[in-house]
Amino acid sequence: MAAATRTAPRAREIFTTLEYGPAPESHACALAWLDTQDRHLGHYVNGKWLKPEHRNSVPCQDPITGENLASCLQAQAEDVAAAVEAARTALENWSTLPGARRAQHLTRLAKMIQKHQRLLWTLESLVTGRAVREVRDRDVPLAQQLLQYHAVQAHTQEEALAGWEPMGVIGLIVPPTFSFLEMMWRICPALAVGCTVVVLVPPASPAPLLLAQLAGELGSFPGILNVISGPTSLGPVLASQPGVQKVAFCGAVEGGLRLLIQESVWDETMTRLQARMGRLRVGRGLDGAVDMGARGAAARDLAQRYVREAQSQGAQVFQAGDVPSDSPFYPPTLISDLPPASPCAQTEVPWPLVVASPFRTAKEALAVANGTPRGGSASVWSERLGQALELGYGLRMGIVWINAHGLRDPAVPTGGCKESGSSWHGGPDGLYEYLQPSGTPARQPSLSENLNYDTFGLAVPSTLPAGPETGPSPAPPYGLFVGGRFQAPGARSSRPIQDSHGNLHGYVAEGGAKDIRGAVEAAHQAAPGWVGQSPGARAALLGALAAALERRESALAARLERHGVELKVAKAEVELSVRRLRAWGARAQAQGHTLQVAELRGPVLRLREPLGVLAIVCPDEWPLLAFVSLLAPALAHGNTVVLVPSGTCPIPALEVCQDVATLLPAGLVNVVTGDRDHLTRCMALHQDVQALWYFGSVQGSQFVEWASAGNLKPVWVNRGLPRAWDQDAEGAGPELGLRAAQTKALWLPMGD
Amino acid sequence: MAAHNLGTELDLSWISKVQVNHPAVLRRAQQVQARRTVKKEWQAAWLLKAVTFIDLTTLSGDDTSSNVQRLCYKAKYPIREDLLKALNMHDKDITTAAVCVYPARVCDAVRALKAAGCNIPVASVATGFPAGQTHLKTRLEEIRLAVEDGASEIDVVINRSLVLTGQWEALYDEIRQFRKACGEAHLKTILATGELGSLTNVYKASMIAMMAGSDFIKTSTGKETVNATFPVAIVMLRAIRDFFWKTGNKIGFKPAGGIRSAKDALAWLSLIKEELGDEWLKPELFRIGASTLLSDIERQIYHHVTGRYAAYHDLPMS
Repeated sequence: MAAATRTAPRAREIFTTLEYGPAPESHACALAWLDTQDRHLGHYVNGKWLKPEHRNSVPCQDPITGENLASCLQAQAEDVAAAVEAARTALENWSTLPGARRAQHLTRLAKMIQKHQRLLWTLESLVTGRAVREVRDRDVPLAQQLLQYHAVQAHTQEEALAGWEPMGVIGLIVPPTFSFLEMMWRICPALAVGCTVVVLVPPASPAPLLLAQLAGELGSFPGILNVISGPTSLGPVLASQPGVQKVAFCGAVEGGLRLLIQESVWDETMTRLQARMGRLRVGRGLDGAVDMGARGAAARDLAQRYVREAQSQGAQVFQAGDVPSDSPFYPPTLISDLPPASPCAQTEVPWPLVVASPFRTAKEALAVANGTPRGGSASVWSERLGQALELGYGLRMGIVWINAHGLRDPAVPTGGCKESGSSWHGGPDGLYEYLQPSGTPARQPSLSENLNYDTFGLAVPSTLPAGPETGPSPAPPYGLFVGGRFQAPGARSSRPIQDSHGNLHGYVAEGGAKDIRGAVEAAHQAAPGWVGQSPGARAALLGALAAALERRESALAARLERHGVELKVAKAEVELSVRRLRAWGARAQAQGHTLQVAELRGPVLRLREPLGVLAIVCPDEWPLLAFVSLLAPALAHGNTVVLVPSGTCPIPALEVCQDVATLLPAGLVNVVTGDRDHLTRCMALHQDVQALWYFGSVQGSQFVEWASAGNLKPVWVNRGLPRAWDQDAEGAGPELGLRAAQTKALWLPMGD
Repeated sequence: MAAHNLGTELDLSWISKVQVNHPAVLRRAQQVQARRTVKKEWQAAWLLKAVTFIDLTTLSGDDTSSNVQRLCYKAKYPIREDLLKALNMHDKDITTAAVCVYPARVCDAVRALKAAGCNIPVASVATGFPAGQTHLKTRLEEIRLAVEDGASEIDVVINRSLVLTGQWEALYDEIRQFRKACGEAHLKTILATGELGSLTNVYKASMIAMMAGSDFIKTSTGKETVNATFPVAIVMLRAIRDFFWKTGNKIGFKPAGGIRSAKDALAWLSLIKEELGDEWLKPELFRIGASTLLSDIERQIYHHVTGRYAAYHDLPMS
């Protein structure tokens, strides 16, 4: 019999109180890892630590104790250049490997993470203050699953993604508060398809550096993942490096929440919520029995400021939970009765706050939830599935969970809409973010410094009568096609259109800002009706339009012929346009699908939803074919459109509108002619245009990208490069379908 | 033990609109297990507390007076004396909460406990345990006989067919009659949740059982294929909380079946603490029905005190 050797003086007391004790998770291994770097972290580039001299460094602190854990070097422009250079070199080999080899490498990295998972989770929790449970039980396993899922995707790449090629070097910028997992969501698909990555992390974020080291220590392919730490102000430097094909931004970790509660259950829900909040435990992240960690003094101050302000604006504040009283801990907070018009109600809610407000009907809830510029994710809680589904479909969000929250899976696309960004990660959608159709020319990083954003397309040169109208009758249709009929332009002026011999072909209306506004309005009015149509009904209407075009073939061909197209070619262009309309009608039938996710009882619906009002600036070339090739996928996917047709030859597009007027609902298609730069400016600066496609000049492309940042609408620009509209790959390829709709993941856990 | 639950009039509006959100319950069940842990002294103290919640149970066809006697002795001395001394807990009179046997073994248990010189209550299962598929008359008689033999707690099984066919009034009436037959004895109502079909039924049955005057609601007999699970427990605990909010009456909760390890026991304690609060963490309001759990707890205590893992022969069998 072993003798009693240890005693527990406090057991008696705990036996009575049954309180929770500290459950510290040892972080010795995280400290030991920092020691291997002499508590001095640099960058991880090309499979090696990079610690250049003469750089500033910032301390990496424990957010709870303020203890200095290490010092981290701040990168400068030349360090960014070195990292991009390493990624470019690595790209040559990595992008040309068979997918199976890349798959093998990603699988090895997943195993590497598995072997060092304790180090990863303790380091992350130590530095960020997040609850270790969250990192250990969710982030680390998910990081491995992401690698494994994308390894499978890489394996089947040649087959499943034929016709697409990796973009090249991807720059990734991550915000100050983030989880390494957010980084994994983006680098996994990028690496899988053959891109290499340079990540710019905020100072004092060791976990990404550790991940880069784990990847580097696999030996082969150093340089596919490079991590440099530095201020976000280095972002433009990263973006302008030659060879960087795309810059992606990471989302931050979840902030505060808005909660909408139906009035009929308001009291009961609030009581239960408060009871539950009273049981939350807040403490050091590295404690195994806390619900919430702390995110440092800055986060605490932000929360405190918001609460004070909300209180001064008349809100009720409820705080509860088992929370240490000292900084940087902040209790979970429930704010109610915040007047909707108060400044607080408009701003983003900081962590760990929840702002609750009542609603009367589901319709009202939908209006409130959709009435914000954000469109990331939402969860719907209801026992009535019918109602929950209606809300799920109606919410303009990237992810909707029904009766669940925060579920993630590598196979489910995750993204957002509106200001929450239009990029996707996870699932097939995530792969396309880092792919381009084979043969796409490399992006020229040099932005024109000379483009004046303030004056681009601001003024319209005046037009005068251009002398005798000649040529075949009937006269071309005149006016702006808005709201289902031809209308006179607001400016009451016209522009002459010349044929290939320099003779006047006819006049088209000179559209302006007010006409664009009217067109967008008309498109918005038509949107609910068109979205409500079944894909089959849409296909039928596109088919009818195709038939009408066929009947108009000789007239259209004659118009094209006047613009210097050989009659045979012109006829072929009309025929191809007809085919495009029919093809997109058929393709739109197969939309979205159901995903099956491990460990979830129930399906996840991957919905392909219309973007909304889509503005399209058509190229000058292929005046009919390009117009139809862009119009057809947009309509087939349920969008309503405002188009600017070819500048040199807008008349065929207007001819088509004559059939649109009789066949399609009013406002579905709107065509505005006029000065292309001016109309582009009007559409790019319109906040209620949900997406913009631009095919025109280099300057126009640059302007569109700049101006669209106002509402973060997804844009697609050609950067002045021509496109082979008569080739199926470029004129009717899957790229158009991808661009014409957005994805929503609707999680539907089941059970009675 | 506390006063009886007198029950309330049957009010079907308490259950008619309730619809349990199954996915949400599953999620909560997952979280609550992962988010709480106790270590070191806390673990030892919690485990000793868990001992005091155990209804030490033997419900086998081959029970005889000798193994019931052994069980009763273990109920009186659940943890080796020297281990308790090392924890300075030897004077806390730590025993299990009750001994739970078949009606025919109640006499044996009462006698054995008397011989051991302690007043641990004897609980008897009744009403056609475990299936409840006998006539109401015999089920009631079974309760009366067990009480006569000295059982002070009666674990009755409900008539599952009444739940599955939605005959809530009939269920209420039956449990009312059980209550009456118990007299002074405590009524613990086994819902056999594994056989109720849905969590919504679990909630409704819980509510009916409490309205009809049960002092405890208990998850399962231990004989169904699905026993005490966290999702079921959460639904029952929420029903207990709702009943408390409506009437001010605190009803006890007893998970039973499949709780075998010390770790499980800790998880159950923290579940109660999280869902109902510390007031429910006493033998009057919380029991764990188990037979083998105690020996694992004793092993863990042994390890805590000595720093060694016990050999099979280091701890007395029950």
